[in-house]
Amino acid sequence: MFADTVPAFAPGDRVRVVDLGKPGHVRTPFYVREKTGAIEEYCGTFDNPEERGYGRVGLNPIPLYRVRFRQFDLWPDYDGSERDELVLEIYEHWLAAA
Amino acid sequence: MADRLVTDIGGTPAGAIPREEREPLFWERQLIATFNVLQQHGVLVIDEIRRTVEEMPKEAYDESTFYGRRVEAVADILIKKGVITAEELEERTREILESGTRDHVR
Amino acid sequence: MADTNQHPHPHEHGPHPTREDDDLELTAAEAKFLAFKSLLMEKGVVTPAEIQARMAVNQKSGYHHAARMIAKAWTDPAYKARLMDDAKAAAIELGIEVTEAKLVALENTPERHNLVVCTLCSCYPRSLLGEPPAWYVSKAYRSRAVREPRKVLREFGLDFPDSVEIMVHDSNADLRYVVVPMQPEGSEAMTEGELAGLVTRDCVVGAALPTEPNRAPA
Repeated sequence: MFADTVPAFAPGDRVRVVDLGKPGHVRTPFYVREKTGAIEEYCGTFDNPEERGYGRVGLNPIPLYRVRFRQFDLWPDYDGSERDELVLEIYEHWLAAA
Repeated sequence: MADRLVTDIGGTPAGAIPREEREPLFWERQLIATFNVLQQHGVLVIDEIRRTVEEMPKEAYDESTFYGRRVEAVADILIKKGVITAEELEERTREILESGTRDHVR
Repeated sequence: MADTNQHPHPHEHGPHPTREDDDLELTAAEAKFLAFKSLLMEKGVVTPAEIQARMAVNQKSGYHHAARMIAKAWTDPAYKARLMDDAKAAAIELGIEVTEAKLVALENTPERHNLVVCTLCSCYPRSLLGEPPAWYVSKAYRSRAVREPRKVLREFGLDFPDSVEIMVHDSNADLRYVVVPMQPEGSEAMTEGELAGLVTRDCVVGAALPTEPNRAPA
């Protein structure tokens, strides 16, 4: 863990997943890009898959969050309850305050 | 703007979820163990496997199976890293297929 | 054809076992795997002993480990609190060797049912549970679980009213998840061992509920 990292976001903060348009190995699915949700928790720092995917290991770990979305905000035709949600893990550089 | 990865299928239309139980075959378990050992030795990391799978053409990805993808990805990485050559892999694979048995393989 | 029953025990000297099921024809994928495995061994990159040892380690994982954790959580509120706080530490406490970076327990409640998927590949807490079921890694599940979880759950025989939230977790980075189902009604008098027997593999990702305890006839 990179103990000195100060997370940019706190639980409850509204955030938008920015579509960075980055080619290659990324772990931000299209279905949450440009969607707005809330920080569920700050997970700490983890190795960056965008580097590791190309064998670049041992670099500084980066901040990761669990981000929570309303399903009705993700899918225009969502068939379910207003209460339904989805949570997934997004690295800080993909997030902007909303 | 980047294209959507072939593996980025969350939310895309799909049919019924296949429910047949399928115990991994012996060779499939051995494949997983081989990959784990290669990882332990620092030859490759799981992220490279994922990235290699993502580089498959869409048609190949759609036709592929779970273990088939792993075989292709590990082979590809081993060749790219110069651990084995494409030629020797092709030759050895052909020998095994021609013999039709697993017996002579260590 | 070789009779695997006559092969030496895998841990002794002798040919490295290559199969258990003699009836299956050699596929292209298996042949390619056997090819690079043999090349790796010839080059000394891996040894047969290493592979066999790792296969044995992998075989030790299984959902029975999660069942033990869940049964203990149902009977011991202090353990449950530790499980919810840090599921990896809670597993290690029971002697279960979890190697993932972080394991998160997701508690089902009367208000919320959790469902886990990895849309991008097949992330699953393998050191705890072993290899995932075929349905979990299927493209159909990976595509649909995030978008139409209630329809997916109905395919698994589960139907929740709108008053129960369905929370889907897409395991897309380094965290891994284990669902802690609610303890079934009528199981309150059961021992921890008996409770563990109610927990199924599919419960632990949210695609099933624990087995109902047998009830004595009225």
